[in-house]
Amino acid sequence: MTAPSTHTTKPATSVPALLKTAVINAVIALVLFSLMVGVRTEAGSDGQLTYWTRFGELAYLVAAVFGGSIVIELLRQWIGPAGTEKLVPPAVQKGMSLVGRYLAPALLIFTLLVPVIFYDQRYILDLAILVLTYVMLGWGLNVVVGLAGLLDLGYVAFYAVGAYSYALLATNFGWSFWICLPLAGILAAFWGVLLGFPVLRLRGDYLAIVTLAFGEIIRLVLINWQDLTGGPNGVSGIPRPTLFGIPLDRSDDGLAAKLGIEFSPTHRIVFLFYLILALALLTNWVTIRLRRLPIGRAWEALREDEVACRALGINTTTTKLTAFATGAMFGGFAGAFFATRQGFISPESFTFQESALVLAIVVLGGMGSQLGVALAALAMIGGFELFRGLETYRMLVFGWAMVLIMIWRPRGLVGHRAPTVYLKKAQAISSDLVKEGHG
Amino acid sequence: MTAASPLLAIRGLRAAYGKIEALKGVDVDINSGEIVALIGANGAGKSTLMMTIFGKPRARAGQILYEGKDITAVPTHEIAHLRIAQSPEGRRIFPRMSVAENLQMGADVTESTPAERESTLERVFALFPRLKERFAQRGGTLSGGEQQMLAIGRALMSRPRLLLLDEPSLGLAPLIARQIFDAIRTLNRQDGLTVLIVEQNANHALKLAHRGYVMVNGLITLAGSGAELLQRPEIRAAYLEGGRH
Repeated sequence: MTAPSTHTTKPATSVPALLKTAVINAVIALVLFSLMVGVRTEAGSDGQLTYWTRFGELAYLVAAVFGGSIVIELLRQWIGPAGTEKLVPPAVQKGMSLVGRYLAPALLIFTLLVPVIFYDQRYILDLAILVLTYVMLGWGLNVVVGLAGLLDLGYVAFYAVGAYSYALLATNFGWSFWICLPLAGILAAFWGVLLGFPVLRLRGDYLAIVTLAFGEIIRLVLINWQDLTGGPNGVSGIPRPTLFGIPLDRSDDGLAAKLGIEFSPTHRIVFLFYLILALALLTNWVTIRLRRLPIGRAWEALREDEVACRALGINTTTTKLTAFATGAMFGGFAGAFFATRQGFISPESFTFQESALVLAIVVLGGMGSQLGVALAALAMIGGFELFRGLETYRMLVFGWAMVLIMIWRPRGLVGHRAPTVYLKKAQAISSDLVKEGHG
Repeated sequence: MTAASPLLAIRGLRAAYGKIEALKGVDVDINSGEIVALIGANGAGKSTLMMTIFGKPRARAGQILYEGKDITAVPTHEIAHLRIAQSPEGRRIFPRMSVAENLQMGADVTESTPAERESTLERVFALFPRLKERFAQRGGTLSGGEQQMLAIGRALMSRPRLLLLDEPSLGLAPLIARQIFDAIRTLNRQDGLTVLIVEQNANHALKLAHRGYVMVNGLITLAGSGAELLQRPEIRAAYLEGGRH
């Protein structure tokens, strides 16, 4: 349609624009690096300040930025913002949809087998548990952010409530993990409702700021309420979980002794792995079920249009509060698990960074997509560990990866949203209707 | 017909946004089985009247009687359960949800049986075959006319007795607008649905409606049958001349 005109005008206009962008970036780099790199200061032997210039290195850096921004700009124009189908041939698309269909079951089977395959590799098991914790947190936050469209920057607060609920109930009253787990979920849900009430009228940026503050309030209370929470020292000696009363330790009552097998500390790790897997799958299952019920549909409708929701007779107050409560409850479960796994918790584990990480997982995964969130958690947490060898460069690689994903797939890894309502007898109806409609 | 007690009776209704009074004592009657058109210029308060029936904004004074019961203070989300449905201004369909889900959202309100839902869905498809074609498509990918059909279809899914339509022809090509008006007429004649329609397209609306009200600055200034109002010189001058398609 407009292709000929864009083809002729694009290179003509883009070359000066390209150079302009590159020059601007180079100037910014020059300003930034002239002090950071260009001038090197050190304390001399007598304590006086010595400095020398490194203009050569500075020139290299600025040149690299100049060249790099041209390359990036060209790449961006060549690849283009995602959404245009032109680059992906139909055959590849077909293959991808086939992969998409079997990816989730394949991943699930692989996950179930992880402790069997990597039984001797403690590091991988620990990492898998960590990834699954974030998968669960991502799925929990997905209810609030992905489905109900309420931007929550303080999700870590519910994680903290869950963790401290279990830690305090277990250490003070000696209650077992299996009693504390639902309690931690209920308490977190209660705090979710508590947060929900003041923010009922807020949306978007304003909601984000208040939830951010809420996350900080919870953390500050944990630090300062020393009598209850132990303040910055945290809570230690949190009991390990038991298999319905049977401890997983070296003692005579332990599981190993009862089964008559030799004790190994890996038993507990494997148990923790399956525990968090079960909790994560529960989160997933509940979310999928709820999406097909009126309440789940109401969440999604609320994300789309609040005014239309009211006109359709949806009680937006209860809809928002249930979304907050449900999301918070899963956060609480994950928190209780975190506490029992670590055996020690302190407010340091519940900083804003955690909220941001979980939110990044949800956004990168594709808001509302369960599979996408799981993949994003795997990529973010697993990938972060993968580049541990690169030391200083891993944050760089990490940042790069995030930018690239957002350029190529602005709606997240799995941007597709599966509908929850299908037409019965779809085949029969669509065939005779297509004729009618086009005739 | 007008002698019986009306389905919806609005008495001395006042509503305001902050200090700006949008309705200054409105009286409107809608009888069962009627199509009533509400016409007027931009900012006359037409949409406000429709939204005040739904309790947002709340009435400051006056009464809204539905089937003889005062519903002025009923919460917004409960109005829909009284089998009053609304197709709000600007359509406001759910763009990322499929046509099917959009329709289902309308049905979720009612305590209807699956069979009733099925038959309502069939009715909506009979009226708007396009929706059946587009069933699995995302709402946001529909054309403007299809979105309007979806908005009306979604409202119909709650099996309403009274349907409130806010500017159904807004931004639509004349041919599509006619299809929408035809569907409204069919609904009224075949299903006995009572309709209140707010329109700037006075010509179409008054031809369709049994009765009409003209609103100026938050007050009803004229009332009469649709045909009667169409003949009034002041209506012709204000809303029809030059504005015809």
